[in-house]
Amino acid sequence: MVHLLGAVLVAAGGALLGFQAAAGLRKRGRAVRQMEEGLALLERELELSAPPLSRLLERGAAHSQGPARGLFQGCAQGLDRLDREDFSSLWRRMVRERTELTPEGQAVLLPLGDTLGRYDGERQREALAAARRRLGELAGRLEADSRRQGRVYQALGLSGGAFLVILLL
Amino acid sequence: MTAADSFVQAVQALPQRLRQEALSLPAGDRARAEELRLRAGWPMTAVLPEGERPLGGPPVEGRELEQLVEIASRASLHTVLDQVRRGYLTFEGGHRIGLCGTAALREGEIHALRAISSADLRIARQVKGAAAPVLDGLCPGGRLADTLILAPPGLGKTTLLRDVIRSVSEGEGCTPLRVSLADERGEVAAMYSGRPQLEVGRRTDVAEGCPKAQGLMLLLRAMNPQVLAVDEITAPEDVGALIAAAGCGVTLLATAHGEGRAGLERRPLYRPLLDEGLFRFLVRIRREGERRIYTIEELR
Repeated sequence: MVHLLGAVLVAAGGALLGFQAAAGLRKRGRAVRQMEEGLALLERELELSAPPLSRLLERGAAHSQGPARGLFQGCAQGLDRLDREDFSSLWRRMVRERTELTPEGQAVLLPLGDTLGRYDGERQREALAAARRRLGELAGRLEADSRRQGRVYQALGLSGGAFLVILLL
Repeated sequence: MTAADSFVQAVQALPQRLRQEALSLPAGDRARAEELRLRAGWPMTAVLPEGERPLGGPPVEGRELEQLVEIASRASLHTVLDQVRRGYLTFEGGHRIGLCGTAALREGEIHALRAISSADLRIARQVKGAAAPVLDGLCPGGRLADTLILAPPGLGKTTLLRDVIRSVSEGEGCTPLRVSLADERGEVAAMYSGRPQLEVGRRTDVAEGCPKAQGLMLLLRAMNPQVLAVDEITAPEDVGALIAAAGCGVTLLATAHGEGRAGLERRPLYRPLLDEGLFRFLVRIRREGERRIYTIEELR
């Protein structure tokens, strides 16, 4: 009985590892997609009313999810300390803290700190649109990877667990 | 707000190192300082009534000038780009930064300043009561009459105009009237986030940023003013707009660069103002030591 229980636990543990790895892949894709949506929101707000950056980021934070919300919120708060940290450095620091965006996603976002709030509205919108498109492509790739590799991880987890059970028995 | 408080508020736009340097000025000098001058490669200086004085710190760096613009605009250059293209930037408190650098042109017009080389932080100070010595003379029967304030640059035309507007709008020493102000360069009311940073009175509506002639017509159509005010008549279009407004029964209040009536008559730009009898009173300003002396002359 104890052996059987152990075997079930080992098999379930293996499966769980596989499912977790698959969930991790899905999470990265979702985070990048949320960031893409956040940038689209900033783009629309800039086009509609070209508000000051603080208001733009606050609105962005209020209507975004995931890493976009945290990034916009952190940057909006940092605008009160511009005498100590310029916006470009602040943006870069905040982007680097969003590790769920993957290094590739972060690389797309980093240059935006040199454009936001420093040029006319049109140029800022262009930069946001370019970054949004690249994030969209990245999110698409990550989602496809997640579907393909996710199933592999799940299968590996299940079969690894089963293999361990066979070995142990 | 005291003069020293205004100084402290104005230097909040400076990057940390320069702000500390500015705040090292003795309290008395803070209250007297009119401007802070920042030139890339040179130490920051304070402009006091007796002249410009270096503050003794290390030279200002180019990136500090960029940071100054970023702090003053709250990293929102797109909201103040029109001002920057005209060479200045107004920020909270009504303080103003004059900017100078390498211009980037587009279709023959200044599109942006590519590299800022100098900045002039002008500390806004309102002189409430500046109009008290002239109000009685300008308000026969208690109501403001058409008035032109005339003086060379730097003698306080804008300060006097602002206080006449405030007094008339508040009804201080005269009948309260609705005032509409065409403030193209934002020097009179210094709007920030939709609010005047310098007091222009509760019955005053401000059109900021648009060319004076267009601003005057817009105010006339939209705000039904009793007094139409404008700072610095500089173009024939401004004169044309004032003549058009005069025909609508509104009281005119304006300023112009010049020495006296004879000077006005000599300049083709201003002659129509006199020919049309637009203004009843001419206020001239001269300085005697630290004091301003106002002279009111009747034109019609």
